Amino acid sequence: MKRVIFSIALSLVLITVSCTDDSNVVVVYTTVDQVFSEPVLKGFEEVTGIEVRAVYDTEETKSTGILNLLIAEKDNPQCDVFWSGDPLRTIVLKNKDITTPYKSRMADDIDDVFKDPKGHWTGFSARARVLIYNKDLLDPADVPRSVFDLTEEQYRGQVAIANPLFGTTTFQIAALFTILGDKKAKQYLADLKNNDLVIATSNGDVKKRVSKGEIACGLTDTDDAFEAIKEGANVGIVFLDQQGIGTLIMPNTVNLINNAQHPGNGKELIGFLLSKETETTLANSCAQMPLHKGVKVPEGVPSLDNIVPMRIDYGKTAQTLEEIQSYLKEWVEN
Amino acid sequence: MGRKLIEHPFYAIIYGSFVLFIVFPIVYTLGTTFFDGSSLAGNILLLDKDIFLLLVKSCIIAFCIAMLSTIFGTSLGFLLYKTDFPFRSFFKIALLIPLFISPYILAVAWKDFIYVFFNNTDLISSSIGVILVLSFIYTPLSMIITGSGLSNINSHLEEMGLLTTGLRSVVFKIMLPLMKPALLSSFVLVFIFSISNFSVPAFFGVKLFTTEIFIQFSAFYNHSLAILQSAFLVVICLLLLYADRKHLADASFLSIGGKGTSIRKYSLGKGLWLGWFGASFWFLISVIFPFIILFIQSFRGGASKFIQAFDLLKSTFSDSILLAFSGAIITTIVGFTAAYFSETKNRNFFNWLLLFVFAVPSVIFGISLIKFYNHPGLDMIYASYTIILIGYTGKFSFISAKLTANAIKQIPYSLEEAAQIEGIGLYRRLRTIIFPLIMPALFASVVINFIFCLGELGTTIMVYPPGTEIMPIKVFTIMANAPQSLVSSMSLIVFSVTLVVIISLAYFGKKFIRST
Repeated sequence: MKRVIFSIALSLVLITVSCTDDSNVVVVYTTVDQVFSEPVLKGFEEVTGIEVRAVYDTEETKSTGILNLLIAEKDNPQCDVFWSGDPLRTIVLKNKDITTPYKSRMADDIDDVFKDPKGHWTGFSARARVLIYNKDLLDPADVPRSVFDLTEEQYRGQVAIANPLFGTTTFQIAALFTILGDKKAKQYLADLKNNDLVIATSNGDVKKRVSKGEIACGLTDTDDAFEAIKEGANVGIVFLDQQGIGTLIMPNTVNLINNAQHPGNGKELIGFLLSKETETTLANSCAQMPLHKGVKVPEGVPSLDNIVPMRIDYGKTAQTLEEIQSYLKEWVEN
Repeated sequence: MGRKLIEHPFYAIIYGSFVLFIVFPIVYTLGTTFFDGSSLAGNILLLDKDIFLLLVKSCIIAFCIAMLSTIFGTSLGFLLYKTDFPFRSFFKIALLIPLFISPYILAVAWKDFIYVFFNNTDLISSSIGVILVLSFIYTPLSMIITGSGLSNINSHLEEMGLLTTGLRSVVFKIMLPLMKPALLSSFVLVFIFSISNFSVPAFFGVKLFTTEIFIQFSAFYNHSLAILQSAFLVVICLLLLYADRKHLADASFLSIGGKGTSIRKYSLGKGLWLGWFGASFWFLISVIFPFIILFIQSFRGGASKFIQAFDLLKSTFSDSILLAFSGAIITTIVGFTAAYFSETKNRNFFNWLLLFVFAVPSVIFGISLIKFYNHPGLDMIYASYTIILIGYTGKFSFISAKLTANAIKQIPYSLEEAAQIEGIGLYRRLRTIIFPLIMPALFASVVINFIFCLGELGTTIMVYPPGTEIMPIKVFTIMANAPQSLVSSMSLIVFSVTLVVIISLAYFGKKFIRST
């Protein structure tokens, strides 16, 4: 018995010791899906020799994870770098004084619209909000071309969006509020609801339902839509509102955490994430659109040069989001 | 009190550690929430009628799941523990399979399965779907509890009953009243597990109290309100557990291996076909159907996704298994300590603390651990696997205590008393009398908590240290945007790993038990 207890105690000590501090590390929390973010972080380890300790999260399965973790850890941050799949989460952190300004020269040629003026966050590789449709259920002529088409009678019960309280769908709705104003945006949402809009659990769920032919079309992110095509689903993708308000572009963002324990390594990782190489990797793995000029992308990956983007101020959109959350909750529930 | 604690340093250390490492962080978090006057006042105003209606809805759904699981679990328990049904050993293990798999994965498999047959998922994407899936998951738990209860019924009572009346009367007038504690215990545990579940209602888009708490956390970042709302769940769970304990103070249930009783087995006779139908049907719908879907999804395009899934997960195997095993051992030690001193020395407060922590929702427990341990100087705990072991200990020691309490109860006190009169000390009594007699229960506690620890997600995802890889976390985070074939393959691998470890534990455990 004594030997068993001793072995257990020894194992516990070894487990504890094996996880303790090391200065050649950088701690990164990311909301970018692990299948896409992990290879990039491993690439950083190979290039620099700095060990990356990552915490992954996922919007898809709606864990309460990283953002709450960062908020809870504010007084004694464990994280050095936060890599977000969209700017809104980063702006939430900025507003809670969890980020600190840092401008990497690697982002010099990235358009200022994709950066925080004070350097709290910097954007890179972008996704877009697109319409995914099932080719068996919609003829090319019948495919919607604008988000406003989705309220038409012919699409009754045939359109899905993810729960707008979370993730990039919130972002899209908030962007519509900033562009249309409260009154028109609320009317639009009411019309959508009256047209028997299907509220799916996530963007992945939208993709899945459209791929299987459960519904004709839905709004999702480019990476989800391209994944469906990769999986062999008979679906098409449309960048909506190219003749109107434009398509919402959502860059990844990266920022340094206030009072980070490894700020030097953190800055190095930020530089790596903002490099053209990372944009190439993400273009290959999940069809993300580079923000640097002259990055080679595989065939089929759209270029920002050919898309009419929605003209929004990300900071203002984040503020709008906070203002409309209660309304959105009510809209979803009633 | 202090003197009594020091009387038994082993008890004092375990009890003190549990209070310090686990109870105190929760009390600290609840305290800082409730005594933060400004946010508390504002948040109380947000607790409107709708919130309470949602709580009622959650209770109704949890009630349905607990009822169904207990009814089906009892029927299966009777068939497999009290009859001469052939292959019962196989079914006892096979029907446990849904317990090994993440509820989320089973929900996905069921939804896909329904879609294949009905081309529509409206029916399952509702409260009915939540009840169906969670009932399938928790029926095996109920089966173990009620099966153990049935095994503990003194066969003399049944035989005397059978001398004067028929089987039906024996079942309704002797067996059911005697196993009432096990039935209630099953109901209460399943109710608590169901009302705390988030992933299944979230996946089916059903708004329940847990999803509301989640919205406060993840959409509004209102930790105070989420904790306040969680307090209602804690109170409901505590009231149920209080009723359970009060009612069942001296009842025997949840025991593994009866001491001093012989189990009467009933011959199924002509009813054998009904037994076959029941067991096979349940096996088919709760295990085979979801598995067919997972298999088809995994291997539809060849074995490449399965190989990829294995490559992704292989780095997590050793740490996850070692952590789960350590967690199972620690929870068993803590559970045994609480149970032993409660049963023999009438010290119940430790048991109540285990129960309190068990009733706290996983996310709140996780946040409590972060708020308490994330301070300079505590990084040795917070930035290491120790924090996960603390999480496991808080979540599952109560189950160990339940499992071992009744085994202790079955040991005639005269045995220990005689040894005590001879001047034999506590530790020697434990080693030479108590442990050998309750070894099957301790072993069952290790196995069951190993399963729970290996699959724990709610608390672990909040506290797992950066750079570490734990199997359920990796499956969970890779699920997003990964092809369905990869997700299904990972589920099959997780299941296989769990099964292999459990079979190994069973093999070596039996040898160990024989040797003791």
